[in-house]
Amino acid sequence: MKVPISWLREYVDFEVPLDALADRLAVAAAEVERIVPVGVADEGGNLEHFVTGRVLEASKHPNADRLQLCQVDVGEPDPAQIVCGAWNFSAGATVAVARPGATLPDGMQLKRVKLRGEISEGMILAEDEVALGSEHDGIMLLADDLSPGTPLVDVLPLADHVLEVEVTGNRPDLLSTYGLAREVAALFDTELRPPPGIDPPVGSSEPVPIEIADSGGCPRYIGRAFSGVEIAESPQWLRTRLHRAGMRAISNVVDITNYVMLTFGSPLHAFDLDRLAGRRVGVRRAESGERLRTLDGVERVLSVDDLLIVDGDRAIALAAIMGGEETEVTEATSNVLLEAANFEPVGILKTSERLALRTEGSNRWEKGVDPHQAALAATYASELLVSISGAVLDSTSDVQAALDPAPRTPFRAARASALIGLEIDAQDQRALLQRLGFEFEGPDGAPDGEWTVTVPTWRARDVTREIDLVEEVARVHGLDRVPFTLPQRRELFGRLTQEQRLRRRVEDALVGAGYSEAYTWSLASDDVDPAALRLPVPLSAEHAVLRTTLSAGLVDAAAHNRDVGNHGIALFEVARVYLPSDEGLPDERWHVGGIVEGGYFVAKSAVDLLHDLVRVEPRFERTSQPTLHPGKAARVAAGWLGEVHPSVLDGGWGMFEIDLATLFADVPERTLYEDVITYPAVHQDLAFVVDRQLPAGDLIEAALAAAGPILREARVFDVYEGDQLPGGKKSIALNVSFQSDAGTLSDEDARVLREKIVARLAEQHGAELRA
Amino acid sequence: MDVQALEEEAQNAIGAAVSADQLETVRVQYLGRNAVLPQALREVRDKETGRTLNEARRRLSEAIDARRDELERDELERRLSEESVDVTLPGTEKARGHLHLITQIRRELEDIFLGLGYEVIDGREVETTYYNFTALNMPTWHPARSPLASLYLDDETVLRTETSPAQIHTMEQRDPPIYMVSLGRVYRRDTPDATHVPIFHQVEGLAIDEGITLADLKGTLRHVMRALFGEDREIRFRTHYFPFTEPSIEPDVSCFLCDGAGCNVCRHSGWIEMGGAGLVDPKLFESVDYDPERVSGFAFGLGLERIAMLRHGLPDLRQLWENDLRLLHQF
Ligand SMILES: [Zn+2]
Repeated sequence: MKVPISWLREYVDFEVPLDALADRLAVAAAEVERIVPVGVADEGGNLEHFVTGRVLEASKHPNADRLQLCQVDVGEPDPAQIVCGAWNFSAGATVAVARPGATLPDGMQLKRVKLRGEISEGMILAEDEVALGSEHDGIMLLADDLSPGTPLVDVLPLADHVLEVEVTGNRPDLLSTYGLAREVAALFDTELRPPPGIDPPVGSSEPVPIEIADSGGCPRYIGRAFSGVEIAESPQWLRTRLHRAGMRAISNVVDITNYVMLTFGSPLHAFDLDRLAGRRVGVRRAESGERLRTLDGVERVLSVDDLLIVDGDRAIALAAIMGGEETEVTEATSNVLLEAANFEPVGILKTSERLALRTEGSNRWEKGVDPHQAALAATYASELLVSISGAVLDSTSDVQAALDPAPRTPFRAARASALIGLEIDAQDQRALLQRLGFEFEGPDGAPDGEWTVTVPTWRARDVTREIDLVEEVARVHGLDRVPFTLPQRRELFGRLTQEQRLRRRVEDALVGAGYSEAYTWSLASDDVDPAALRLPVPLSAEHAVLRTTLSAGLVDAAAHNRDVGNHGIALFEVARVYLPSDEGLPDERWHVGGIVEGGYFVAKSAVDLLHDLVRVEPRFERTSQPTLHPGKAARVAAGWLGEVHPSVLDGGWGMFEIDLATLFADVPERTLYEDVITYPAVHQDLAFVVDRQLPAGDLIEAALAAAGPILREARVFDVYEGDQLPGGKKSIALNVSFQSDAGTLSDEDARVLREKIVARLAEQHGAELRA
Repeated sequence: MDVQALEEEAQNAIGAAVSADQLETVRVQYLGRNAVLPQALREVRDKETGRTLNEARRRLSEAIDARRDELERDELERRLSEESVDVTLPGTEKARGHLHLITQIRRELEDIFLGLGYEVIDGREVETTYYNFTALNMPTWHPARSPLASLYLDDETVLRTETSPAQIHTMEQRDPPIYMVSLGRVYRRDTPDATHVPIFHQVEGLAIDEGITLADLKGTLRHVMRALFGEDREIRFRTHYFPFTEPSIEPDVSCFLCDGAGCNVCRHSGWIEMGGAGLVDPKLFESVDYDPERVSGFAFGLGLERIAMLRHGLPDLRQLWENDLRLLHQF
């Protein structure tokens, strides 16, 4: 919403500088994009160079066919000679002149110059040259009663500022100059002038019949018939206001409807009355497939939810959004039906979304416009139509369903103070609410500060409850006056859960191991699980399925790093996967996944680390899955690991993925002390010859089972396959540590334990102790 | 025999020895089996002379040990000094990992709120429309509900568009007081560009207790902003509109780059927009059966990516998802 400040000042006085106005509005009412100066720069006496002039002579430039050479009376003893490129005037015209020394809005500085051999002392102005409009086809023609040399700033709004505000959805009342003026008056406690508009006399013609078939969609319809309309260009002040408010001037009738919309926020529409079949209007929903060519020339195919304005039975406008082409006001129009109606917001929003058609009108309707503004708008538009277009108001009618009564709510000033956290005097609260248009019941000085408040109609959608009034008090009294306090805690909690702490430790451990953390998309192009959840309307082909594994994203991240030439690539991610579930919502599980240069054993080292972190001994079993090397893949209780299949990512990458809830499931709440210091451990090396197929893990498992907990550790330190062994055999060398917390182990103790192990391994796995 | 002269001679020889070998030669010469002093000691008969000789031998023996230690120290020093390295050469290479910038910011925020006694609640990412919209007082026609704005799995299931559904779950599960924050991924149907990625991260907080005020929200957010952007920061509230809060505000933090003087980051206003907040709309209490006359609350939401952009100067959010080690290693 763009509002010229001079327009705002028509309705409200304020003393504060414009940046203070902007600051206050921004904090208390609506986002202020900026306040910008527009038009001719008002500095360094620049405005003095702009005056009115009367053309004394105008003839073709002797050396240029497309230029005129003019003698212009600018209020000085001698006329000024000015070369001009426009032809929409002749001798006798009153025009706007910029004299040498003037700086135009585009920065151009005028000088006395020679144009094709003739002196030109200034410029006869078109509206776009002084930012009064966008027209450039001809120069501005001013009223003939102006005497030459009159300062132009007295005649035209040469210099102004425009306030640009962004209004939140709950404040459609601020999408209007008058509404903003009301807000300014309330914020600065100054007087708001009454709304503009005085009804012209009404003729005695039969009113245009109005038939509302859907009063839910259109609770009010004011129709006013005008005759004798002379379609013409609007006066300069009107054109300039629209231009500066960001709208294009079209013709007087259309401009008036737009101007009044901007004044009150209630959009209007003008029909060419003679083109309405049966000179009647109605409001109904469209039939499916019904068509209407709107003003923009597009043929719209309608649905049963769309609200229409019709004449006899034909659609003539898409209610609240855009008029129809056939009943548009044109240069030939002389009779006009002015529509000042009210439309229900949600239906309008749906239609404008469906048709992807947003207009100044729909933007207001979809936020909800006060039906009471329609009457003000009708009155003001009528006054302007009569005074500007020479029209006569023939008849008027106002069809309305029972409009909702203004909301009323109890209000306790003490409650407002308590919620804001600042003691605000009850009478001050009342006064500021009254400035906003709220009405109070009960004696003026009700000592307890408890009232019943009636909401002004223009706030009826937004303010219905006591808490809504609390907001009004807080923002108008001043959010900057609210102090800084902290909640008074009576009970203290707030710590990470064990799971959250462990998740952090997982991240930290991997970072310590040289992995960097990746973030990859939760949505993938596809997933290994055919049941993975799909978006019916994907974000894109790459982002369509809620992943059940982190691996695809990690492979992409690793490939990206390889492709850009990074080295030492080790990445992990801790994020959720989404497993399809019978219970409606997916089972969201935290996973940690990693990818690293170097193959299976590098990945295994990370998986060992993660298990060590939670003091769990993992059991690795051979497995297979399509993305992994068939001979280098394993699973553990909480997940899997392996070397990435070269067809997925070439170059020998290790990858793993662990379900954190499973990993954390057996983490003891506390770890108990074990005495590993007092009595020294006995270390022995044992080498066994076994079948080549036997996993070392099985051998260790058997050793641990044979010796019991006194075998504190058994670690593979060498594997040998070769000539010195019979075919199909390998040697596995173990380093074992026996340790007791009850006493020092003797050589005899160690021998007994060692024999137990040797016997068990021989029995279970045919292992032979190597000499 | 002039013991004194002999000792003096020996002491001089000890002092003059400059290597272990020389010292050994000196030792053999004066204290060796066939040297003068040991021989004299073997032959001495009177007690007085014996003591004198003995003491002389002891002193020489100590002097030799001391000199040997000294020579060994010197030798070590000399060897070490020969081993000196170029101290500017790089340290032993060891793989280094880094937490993602957003995780670092996430933890920082979690820690700030843990310090304020808040719980961290990880909500679901896939939610019902009830928890994501309806219970947050968003009317059926609200634009955020449009499939053009949000990612639906079906009519009733949506990828959360903010982390606040966790607040409704928490309120349903227990009575006030509640002090909680939820952080994590949220989803919107945006076209990726420098400042938008369809997946981003928010922190949303909720405090419900007896006597919670707008002033408490102001004090809390100022604490958070100072923790994030420095102790000199100020905050201001601007009125705004959200369906789930009343009054609704947007907090601004005073620009940490220009200190309020105006710069490009704060668009020459001196203030930087930081998110949304307000007092919890009593409407939200209806469905969870809280008494708005007894308790009140505040809620707020901030974007983690916004903090990353503002505080770290990150120019393009898409880079957060590229996982390029060159970027990850910066933070
Ligand atoms: Zn700044």
